[in-house]
Amino acid sequence: MNPDPFDALGLPARHDLTDEQVRAAWRAVAAGTHPDRADGGDVARYTAATAAFAELRTPWGRSEALADLAAASGDTSPLPLIAAADPWAADPWAADPSAADPSAAGPFSAGSATRPGRGGLRQLPARIWRGRRRRLVIRALAAAVLSWTALRLVPGQPAGPAAVAGLITWLLLTGRRDLAPPPGQ
Amino acid sequence: MSVWSWIKLTVCLWLLRKAARITGWLLAVVLAVAAWPLTLVAAAGYVTAWLQGWPPVRLFRAAAWSLPATAVWLAGLALRGSAWQSAAVAPGHAWTRRWGYLAIPGLARTFVLVAPVAVPAGLAVAGVVWAWRIYAITTGLGGITASAPIIFDARQWRHQVRAARDRNAAPGAAPLLASGGKIPVGGTIRAIGHRWHPVFTIPAAACARHMVVVGSTGSGKTNLMIRLWAGWFTAALSAARAGRGQRPLLIVLDCKGGRDARTKANRTRRLLYGAGARRVAIWPDEAGLCLWDLPPADLAVVLYQMIDTGTGNAAYYADILQAVLNLAVAAPPGPPLSTAGFLDRLEARWLTRAWDDGRHPAEADRIRAAARHLPDIQLRYATLLGRLGPALDGPGALADADAWYCILEGTREPSVAQAQAMALTELAAYTATNLAGEQRAILLAADDYSAVSGRVPLSNLYERGRSLGIGVQVSAQSWQGLGATEDERYRIAGTADGGIWVMSTPHPEPLTALAGHRRVLETAHKLIGNTWGDEGTTREQQAWTADPDLIRRLQVGQACYIHHGAATFVQVARPRPSPLTLLPPPASGSSPVQVPAPRREAEPGSQSGSQPNPVPASLDDVFGPGGTP
Repeated sequence: MNPDPFDALGLPARHDLTDEQVRAAWRAVAAGTHPDRADGGDVARYTAATAAFAELRTPWGRSEALADLAAASGDTSPLPLIAAADPWAADPWAADPSAADPSAAGPFSAGSATRPGRGGLRQLPARIWRGRRRRLVIRALAAAVLSWTALRLVPGQPAGPAAVAGLITWLLLTGRRDLAPPPGQ
Repeated sequence: MSVWSWIKLTVCLWLLRKAARITGWLLAVVLAVAAWPLTLVAAAGYVTAWLQGWPPVRLFRAAAWSLPATAVWLAGLALRGSAWQSAAVAPGHAWTRRWGYLAIPGLARTFVLVAPVAVPAGLAVAGVVWAWRIYAITTGLGGITASAPIIFDARQWRHQVRAARDRNAAPGAAPLLASGGKIPVGGTIRAIGHRWHPVFTIPAAACARHMVVVGSTGSGKTNLMIRLWAGWFTAALSAARAGRGQRPLLIVLDCKGGRDARTKANRTRRLLYGAGARRVAIWPDEAGLCLWDLPPADLAVVLYQMIDTGTGNAAYYADILQAVLNLAVAAPPGPPLSTAGFLDRLEARWLTRAWDDGRHPAEADRIRAAARHLPDIQLRYATLLGRLGPALDGPGALADADAWYCILEGTREPSVAQAQAMALTELAAYTATNLAGEQRAILLAADDYSAVSGRVPLSNLYERGRSLGIGVQVSAQSWQGLGATEDERYRIAGTADGGIWVMSTPHPEPLTALAGHRRVLETAHKLIGNTWGDEGTTREQQAWTADPDLIRRLQVGQACYIHHGAATFVQVARPRPSPLTLLPPPASGSSPVQVPAPRREAEPGSQSGSQPNPVPASLDDVFGPGGTP
């Protein structure tokens, strides 16, 4: 049996695959490797794909296979954190390059080997990107403009830095809710 | 005193009163203008609180959060003056100096200069004024018309709902789990007795106790329950990863079934995967469980309860049924391992071979006495187990997955669903008490349990969960759905120490009564013509903590959480997993998927005697079927 049934079908090891995606992948592999083909096909690959399809055709089967993959890697917890989808990728399956290679995670990947829900600043870019970034930008711009204005209005006065401190506090307090939740939460 | 004198006196007094009032107002206006930065902040805070439906505490917290800026300002002044004395008098200096800036068009500059003091002070003043306004209106001291309190309350409710919905729209406002292991539920609409927070949270421990959810169809009950399940699972998983608790096991009994149940199951599964679950099983569609894993004594009881036995003359046959079940399940070869094996045992020949070994004369006599009833008993169980289907015939155990979503067709096949619910509850109890397996933190959630509560009432399930130390969450569409009798309903609701969620339902009074009453002031005014006079009385009254009429009018997704004599109205946020998901790492080695091998039934003549557990298939493979080495 193939140790990675997802690999046998050329699919990423993701829990959000649908039955249709699995069936389509199997058909594609089967059409190219079937023994009845004029070129004789690829019996080993066809067999592996058929076995993998039998395993992955239901959500529960995929759940089992994913859990076994995780168990095989010796990992119990924490799971690595990776962005669910690359915002620039048209192909949803290509959105998860880190499923095959964690180092190839997207530009705002939260990194790997980080405890879920934690990771602090390393997760921040991904959380901003996945959150309401337009609002965040507007908030940040407003805070920056007001800070600049305050500093220009009262140069050299303690009220200037105080206004900046107040605006930073406001930005931190109100901007939190526009961030995407940390992974696993 | 002449009439003219009386008129002059009255007019003078009236003028004096008006003059005093106008003077007071003028003074207030002068003060407000003199302290215009503070007035500006206070006015902005007041208007925002009115528009957002905030309680005054929200303004006080905002004032507190602006104090770091004040601290920076004071520190700056102290550094410049190189003395703490200068810092201490700095606010006063800034206050007096600011008048010089009014002469120039730099009002903004003036505002920035005094903002470190004006902002916290202004917000605090706004909080005080807003608190007074609420007090005055709700007690009847303020307002122009008699209906002012009602209009004010209705308007504030609309504002509060709108603000809560806006909060829910923010992606990070209501994640599945908040700091401190709390489960965010959604934006707070109104808190009565509870502490107000923008997003209402409950401790995960509340879900690990007993909780009741009541809401009619379309009230948003499913959303709330899925959020609570996912929140509890996330909290328990985080605690387990931190070494502070056991791994979670969520067992959901969807007792109505139908197509909606599949949709709900898939939604729950996606959410739990996002929260870090590895295996989420949907029963009976995709995964099976093995009823025959139960200890023999429990198995015999469950099998007995699954059959309708009746009373009166039927009690005689019930006793025979129970005796036969005990003989079949506790036979020397060990308990049955499958439906087929169990049905085989309900034959006189099998039972005689198993028990008539000379060491069990009493059992052998019982078998002979019951022999003529055995075909009937076998027929009844063959029919029942056939209707139950293969999903309880294994392989599989609750401990195999992180979460089970069990769909019982309580609407379509009530009797089958009742038997299934009984078996699943027993399996959950076995998982909780099985010392040989890994200890898990278990939450048993029964959605619309009334659909299957025929033979095992909800109160029984509740008390069972309490005795086993597992969390039990039950939901019903109405107060009446909680139990068959008023006593049973009160027993369930009254012991819900995790809290009671009430959504839109036509008869919420018994539930809201559990929140109790609060003391309110009621002011009566003397009317002169169509306007209020200057006389009246105020007296203390009792009002609902959770107003039933308000609950009846709740819209989709709005809920009232009743706990410890307090109530909080919440706009439940739709649960969504973080877009930054947890995925398992790539495979690094060979790990074929292990499929449990089918177990083999023991032969009736074989003896397992002191061995309590069934013979593993692997040993059968080594030593041959039918015995231990």
